[in-house]
Amino acid sequence: MATATAAFTTSELMVVAGARELHDGELAFVGLGIPQVAAALAQRTHAPGLVVLNEIGLADPRPIEFGVGNADPRHWYGASFMGSFSDVMGYLLARGLVDVGFLGALEVDAFGNANATEVRREDGSTRRFGGGGGSNDIASLARSTVVIVRHERRKLVERLEHLTNPGSLDGAGARTRAGLPGDGTRSVLTDKCVFGVDPSSGRLVVRSVHPGITADELRASTGFPIDLAPDLPTTAPPTREELELIREVIDPDRRYTRSF
Amino acid sequence: MTKLVPLGEAAALIHDGDHVALGGFSITRNTIALVHELVRRKVRGLTISACVLGIEADLLIGAGCVERLVYSGGSLDRFGQLGRVNEAVERKAIAFEYMSGLALTFRYAAGALGLPYMPIRSMLGSDLLPPLVAAGVAREERDPFGGGPLVLVRALVPDVAVVHAQVADADGNARVLGPRWDNDEAVAAARSVIVIAEEVVDAEEIRRLPELTLVPSFRTSALVHLPYAAHPTAVYRRYDYDADHLRLYAEATRSQRAFDDYVDRYVRSTDHASYLAAIGGEAKLASLAADSRLGY
Repeated sequence: MATATAAFTTSELMVVAGARELHDGELAFVGLGIPQVAAALAQRTHAPGLVVLNEIGLADPRPIEFGVGNADPRHWYGASFMGSFSDVMGYLLARGLVDVGFLGALEVDAFGNANATEVRREDGSTRRFGGGGGSNDIASLARSTVVIVRHERRKLVERLEHLTNPGSLDGAGARTRAGLPGDGTRSVLTDKCVFGVDPSSGRLVVRSVHPGITADELRASTGFPIDLAPDLPTTAPPTREELELIREVIDPDRRYTRSF
Repeated sequence: MTKLVPLGEAAALIHDGDHVALGGFSITRNTIALVHELVRRKVRGLTISACVLGIEADLLIGAGCVERLVYSGGSLDRFGQLGRVNEAVERKAIAFEYMSGLALTFRYAAGALGLPYMPIRSMLGSDLLPPLVAAGVAREERDPFGGGPLVLVRALVPDVAVVHAQVADADGNARVLGPRWDNDEAVAAARSVIVIAEEVVDAEEIRRLPELTLVPSFRTSALVHLPYAAHPTAVYRRYDYDADHLRLYAEATRSQRAFDDYVDRYVRSTDHASYLAAIGGEAKLASLAADSRLGY
């Protein structure tokens, strides 16, 4: 593992894998941290026309430093448009114009549904987090969603404590029957692998494994059964150019890319 | 006609049991000074609503002013969680309606348009919907024009919307710079509006750029001129959030006891001027001044 990952951190690999999920000309909501760094990298490489939206009510910011959240004016700097929640979550997202939402989650299930609300403590009581905000709107109404989550058994679960953000619901076709537009979760990015979605079942399938991660490790840290093809590809590592951009331009303080 | 009143007079417009739409979003543009005054006045039984809650909601809930919460999310961003909000919801110490951000915005929009409800596709198939249906504030129906399932979300008409503005004139025309999240809809839905402004300017200045006016004077019930009334949250193009104080608050709100100590020190025993002195006075405030080019 040491030799395979010596040249880059797991979070740098995740940034690069995340950036490859974002395409030129797309409208995207991206969460704080790795998704945001991934969007910045995509904009500086293959997707100069990627437009980032902020649910607080603005579009296409060009931040020159990281802030603490959507409400931090550091993340508003350079925007081409400022308006209201309705402007971005309504007239763009509900209208069906948003290509992808790149969101974090407390838990993800085998159908790519996500919990952004609460988890169960070991004593059985509920631990409430701040709430999903606009993440249900994004997962419901964007054309597709990419979810990022730490790869642990307690986070990749058979059954969510709260289905806040719909992926494939309970299988292929379920979103359409429920009345939801869009495809739902199209990939789940973790610190061990990248999941895609099997269109015939709506279930997550491992698309690539990060360097140095074994099949046993992957099974042991996933709370739902996974099929692993014998010839699974390794997640493509960062190029020298991508690493330079991450380290020297986008995240020089290594705020999100030091380790995961 | 001037709408300028002292803070206490504006706070007195909010009565026990009222529904107050809060204007802040996480760590930005919270009506902190007004909320402090409500805590000092021991207002009780409030319903509060906002898409993304900040310290203003946490203070009101921690101080026992709130009976019902209508929201979609909220935090202190990277500084931490809203401890009093989350604990009250976990323990069901208050009633709550938890929905998507757009659903809440559309509920205000229905109120603003005088309509009973708005249709939306958010929340279909999720665990957000059943409790809202049970509470009688949402229904799943089919599009009567032949389309598929829709969620109908019920109109929300707050008694009062409170909003922090960078600039207003004495008549109560209020200008907000930067993104406006759910402010437009909440202000338009509410029966009355209280504006807290950093600066009061001549009416001619407002009329020079009326496209920046968020609240027209005829909607405004009271205007309070109070610089730094949003501290420790940020006011775009005026001042940054106070990271030191947010860290201190994030720690305090982790437990009711520490929160109570915080409120004793920074809220109950102060007025706005002595609060600003307690958080570091002019030197601290000067350090938060926004760079005119960056906006923060």
